[in-house]
Amino acid sequence: MALQGLEIRRSSAALRGGGTGLRKMPTVAKYIDTSTCIGCKACEVACQEWNDLPLSKTEQTGSYQTQPTMSANYWNLIQFREVEAPEHGLSWLMRKDQCMHCDEPGCLEACPAPGAIVQYVNGIVDVDPERCIGCGLCETGCPFDVPRYAVGTNKMAKCTLCVDRVSVGLEPACIKACPTGCLQFGDKASLLQVAEHRVQQLKEGGFAQAAVYDPKGVGGTGVITILKFGDKPEWYGLPKDPTVPTTVSIWKRVIHPLGFVVMAAAIFGAIGHFMAFGPKKPKDISRETGGEV
Amino acid sequence: MSELRIPGATPVMGPTAIQVARDREDVVIGDEIVRHRLSSRVIHWVVAVFFFGTLLTGMPIWSPVFGWMAHLFGGLSVCRWLHAWLGVAFAAATVPMMVIWAKDMLFDKNDRKFNIAEYLRFSDKEDPNVGKYNAGQKFFFWMVLATGLVILLTGIVLWWPTYFSQTLRSISILLHDLCFIGFFAAIVGHIYLGTAAEPGTFHSMTRGTVTRPWARLHHPRWYRDVTGDRS
Amino acid sequence: MASLAATFGRGAMTNGWVDIKNADVVLIMGSNAAENHPCGFKWAIEAKKNRNAKLVSVDPRYTRTSAVSDLYAPLRPGTDIAFLNGIIRYALTTGRFHEEYVRIHTNGPYVINEKYDFKDGLFSGFDASKGEYDKAAWQYEADPKTNAYMVDMEMKHPRCVLQLMKKHVDRYTPEMVERICGTPKDQFLKVADIVTSTGNAQKAGTIMYALGWTQHSTGVQIIRAAATLQLVLGNVGRPGGGVNALRGHSNIQGATDMAGTFEILPGYLKTPAGSLATLAEYLEKGPPTTLNKQAWTSMNYWSNYPKFMVSLLKATWGAKATKENDWGYEWLPKVDGNYSWMYIFDDMYRGTSQRAGGTEPGPEGFITFGMNPVGIGPNSSKMINALAKLKWMVVGENYEIETATFWKAPKQYGGPETSQIKTEVFQLPCSGFAEKDGTFTNSARWMQWKWKAIDPPGLAKTDQEVLARILLAVRALYQKEGGANPEPVLNLDWSYTNPYAPDLGEALKEINGKALADIHDPKDPTKVIKKKGEQLDGFGQLMDDGSTMGGNWLHSGVYGSAGNLAARRNNADPLGLGMFHEWGYSWPANRRIMYNRASADANGKPWDPTRPGIVWNGEKWVGDVPDIKPDSPPGQFGAFIMNPEGVGRLYSPLLNDGPFAEHYEAIEAPVDNLLHPKVTSNPASKKFSTNKDVYGGRDQFPIVATTYRLTEHYHYWTHHTNILNQLQPGFFIEIPEELAKEKGIANGSRARVTSARGAIEGVAMVTRRLYPLNIDGKRVWHIGFPLHWGYSGDPGHIGPLANFLTPSAMDPNTWTPEFKTFLVKLEKVEGVA
Repeated sequence: MALQGLEIRRSSAALRGGGTGLRKMPTVAKYIDTSTCIGCKACEVACQEWNDLPLSKTEQTGSYQTQPTMSANYWNLIQFREVEAPEHGLSWLMRKDQCMHCDEPGCLEACPAPGAIVQYVNGIVDVDPERCIGCGLCETGCPFDVPRYAVGTNKMAKCTLCVDRVSVGLEPACIKACPTGCLQFGDKASLLQVAEHRVQQLKEGGFAQAAVYDPKGVGGTGVITILKFGDKPEWYGLPKDPTVPTTVSIWKRVIHPLGFVVMAAAIFGAIGHFMAFGPKKPKDISRETGGEV
Repeated sequence: MSELRIPGATPVMGPTAIQVARDREDVVIGDEIVRHRLSSRVIHWVVAVFFFGTLLTGMPIWSPVFGWMAHLFGGLSVCRWLHAWLGVAFAAATVPMMVIWAKDMLFDKNDRKFNIAEYLRFSDKEDPNVGKYNAGQKFFFWMVLATGLVILLTGIVLWWPTYFSQTLRSISILLHDLCFIGFFAAIVGHIYLGTAAEPGTFHSMTRGTVTRPWARLHHPRWYRDVTGDRS
Repeated sequence: MASLAATFGRGAMTNGWVDIKNADVVLIMGSNAAENHPCGFKWAIEAKKNRNAKLVSVDPRYTRTSAVSDLYAPLRPGTDIAFLNGIIRYALTTGRFHEEYVRIHTNGPYVINEKYDFKDGLFSGFDASKGEYDKAAWQYEADPKTNAYMVDMEMKHPRCVLQLMKKHVDRYTPEMVERICGTPKDQFLKVADIVTSTGNAQKAGTIMYALGWTQHSTGVQIIRAAATLQLVLGNVGRPGGGVNALRGHSNIQGATDMAGTFEILPGYLKTPAGSLATLAEYLEKGPPTTLNKQAWTSMNYWSNYPKFMVSLLKATWGAKATKENDWGYEWLPKVDGNYSWMYIFDDMYRGTSQRAGGTEPGPEGFITFGMNPVGIGPNSSKMINALAKLKWMVVGENYEIETATFWKAPKQYGGPETSQIKTEVFQLPCSGFAEKDGTFTNSARWMQWKWKAIDPPGLAKTDQEVLARILLAVRALYQKEGGANPEPVLNLDWSYTNPYAPDLGEALKEINGKALADIHDPKDPTKVIKKKGEQLDGFGQLMDDGSTMGGNWLHSGVYGSAGNLAARRNNADPLGLGMFHEWGYSWPANRRIMYNRASADANGKPWDPTRPGIVWNGEKWVGDVPDIKPDSPPGQFGAFIMNPEGVGRLYSPLLNDGPFAEHYEAIEAPVDNLLHPKVTSNPASKKFSTNKDVYGGRDQFPIVATTYRLTEHYHYWTHHTNILNQLQPGFFIEIPEELAKEKGIANGSRARVTSARGAIEGVAMVTRRLYPLNIDGKRVWHIGFPLHWGYSGDPGHIGPLANFLTPSAMDPNTWTPEFKTFLVKLEKVEGVA
């Protein structure tokens, strides 16, 4: 839902910028420490309950994971993976998957409906279902495979970072529900410091590659994730160096302007041509004068 | 339409050219030659209407610059739905169009002599052997079919975003757009040439007939074939 | 709990949830705390993040806990004692133990009499015919001069506890641990190294355990081994230390405190035996006493036992209890024999009982509230068949549970035809926990008042209302028609404002206790400390002359003159150690860390000044609520005031299966006991002998299986709750990757597990988190499955009863079934994708 109280930084399919640019707000972020996440799924339930999402029909297929991927009514999913790291043996990695709230959101860039996807000044990327036209192009723009198309209602849905809670000073529901404190919420700058501290601790604890996942390819994300195996984000189901897909960039940054040029060229070409050469009429106009009108 | 009077002309007995043009083509009636029979024209305009519908519902999705167009249909959400169906209708309508025109649109050896530059300069140095359709028109026809097919297929991919892979969708977006842009430019040319640039042409697609001079000028071989006039 | 009481004096988590954050090392073993105690597990994470604490997970499976641990080591199910004794040996041989602590706070220096011995897997005093030990062979040696305990403060005497212990654990070398447990030696040594790094004054480490230790035929001794390890390391009584028993239910500690099992009355007073005809005899035999009953420097808090007992009797019978009638002692039910849950069902199944020394019919009626015997008991088929022998059964529940519908259990469980079952079942809809007030007493012994959130739906009533109405109806029948043994029914004090639905606040006041007459200060009889009718402020005010009443001495203080302290929600923490003295009420006496006298040295100075438990300031003990007389100077009393000898017991002559923990294999053992092949399993453990009590051998059932719970579900309840079913939709079997390959079982396909009792099928979860262990050259597999499902509820979310497969074999002290280690075979289910 597009919220009245928060100024918009950027909006999908906007001809010019979204807000006044005058009101300042710190960029907020979710902090996810996968090294202390126990995969209890409290966040999953909290997300569903706060957002009044209907239950999913799931079945046991040989995994602790609730369902294979997120869905239009399941915005928050812990992914479970068993990996074997040469030095550390078996690890059971659990990562909470949800919208990453990119600073440069590919979904927003790809979205053709004005105001259907907005980024507030605090960095939260939100969907306004009233404006969403259900084209699904946002899915194509997302490097994290987040937006989900609700077939029944023809709308896109994803984590809103509980903007309705955040805007009145509460933490997102998932954070509230987290029992171990592996989820935290706050302004991104200070959470990055917490993250750095934790990464340092992990490095001293033998995880030399520990890192904060805050990929620059999308301008950084509103979800900062601590990875023990920072050099292997794919072990956690995260793209190594995510960017807005090239196709979307080409489409929006090359083809679109090109399109306007071609369209204008065609129209002005025709006009120019007419002025220079046209019209092409039979020389013998004797019949014309006496003929048709 | 039955009793169309030509001002200043002697009323003739028998059917008028317009009447003939309901079901026959390539026949000479007085000063006029029937170029497109009614069914061809209906198909053309059906295609055209679906085309414009598709265009006007697609352009606001393509860019917010054209957002105003969405209001013609009740908003962008309607466009997202209507665009797809109009696209299908457009594609469906092109099928009889192809059936009707395909034979005439086959390229022949004369078409090689078609000089686009000379043509666009509206010079008189045109090939005297241009038949009912010149090579440009044939090219346009096949282009409509080809890009139409691509737009249709990519459109289907984009219609149901959940069923196809992200790669396929990305490629589809690009192709859909590229084809649309090409299509747009071609349509501008088509309309221009069919209206302002070549007076008399538009009439052929409304009432079905052209004048002898028009035919002689634009399609000399066709003119000769239809009229037997070798002068 | 039994083993903690036998070691420290009280059967509960020694420290508390929040205190785990103060630890330097957290050993989680016999528990998957992250899975089953996710909220409390927060504090282990806090310790990791804020203290750089090392979290060590030792478990047969690589669990959710292991996933966030700093070190994981596997072990074969049921071999925990070997592992723990291995660590004790490592500590004692390398000197990585807290010697001064052992000297002053444990019975390490105490000398044991000559009859004690351990040979070929048996302690002295074993009676093979009964399968029981005579504990008289294990007693302390009395000093011939003083007639008191003989001690050697140098701990050199060959029969002093420390020397006996050294000898006992000497066999548990790292190599032996590897051969028994399958834990690779280097991994074991890493664990031992980290755990014993706290064997000094500067560091403190805690152990978290749960049902992974309790539910073995050696369960109590496993916990004993851990408790002794913590004593050796000097970790008991200290902030950041302790043996933290994680209770599985929100209020199971409260239930235990309030006589959750047959052998205890509220406050862990003993249920009287039939042979003790009078209160005087009972008080003579009941309370623990010091050796030879001589004066000693122990507080032996149990010397206040008569006050607790008389107050309990006054709370029970009210004005009907008088000094003349022994305060109604006679009306208390007496036990002669074993009324534990497993025995009740055995009697029910057999239809006869040998209790009270004779033969009588088995139970014909059964009332069950807040439990699901068909689900939770081992050997489900026996459970179902036992219920079918009843005349009637009353089930008070908020869902239609498997027990209530046992008469239509699927055929596979081998119950009688429905038409053949004569049991009349009454199902009473009861409220859930959110539909009533009351207290929860958590693992940390914090009594926390909760407020009703919503009304019970439909005709459902609160448990107390259902029970009250049954009582009052029965009493009315007695008044009208009379009946056998009428006194307890007619004399029970039931003076609640609303007798049909007693207010739980009133009940809590009754538990706390009040003055029935003016109470005078024992030191100054002219001073009245409590006027008649006033609530008491603690168990120190309880009297044995009938002038006070109190339903549970341990909880006394929770509802004193300051009101309901369980309802306090002040999170001030002036000591910075997470004690939160004004949050709820922590029994005993709002003490947050039990045995906290042991957090200080002989002079009352804290071992670690940054983490003081209590400190002697020259006049009194300050810090936490002292677990000792507040003004008794260091040296006057021992740190373990509930133990007559005043110290923690490295050697405990109280348990039924030995004073030291010894490794025994499970009843269904995949290998012989390497240490003493002739005594493979716990010689004192209990089994049953009906046709349903069958036990499997390793030839037919070569794979070890274990059962467990999932974080997404709560027991057998939540498969009735679809939001949780969504998270874990159904039953599955976790199978090691290589074993699955051998059996041709693909992930997500169906597999069948069979034990000597039955067979169940489910979705195979093929994983690398389980793998075979090399047990003395033999490759031993283990698999596991969760227990949350049953045959009642939403047809989309029913599943097999995991306990169909588990054996009716028990620990000899608590009669807890061995759910965690039993033998099975595994097969692919053909013809199903």
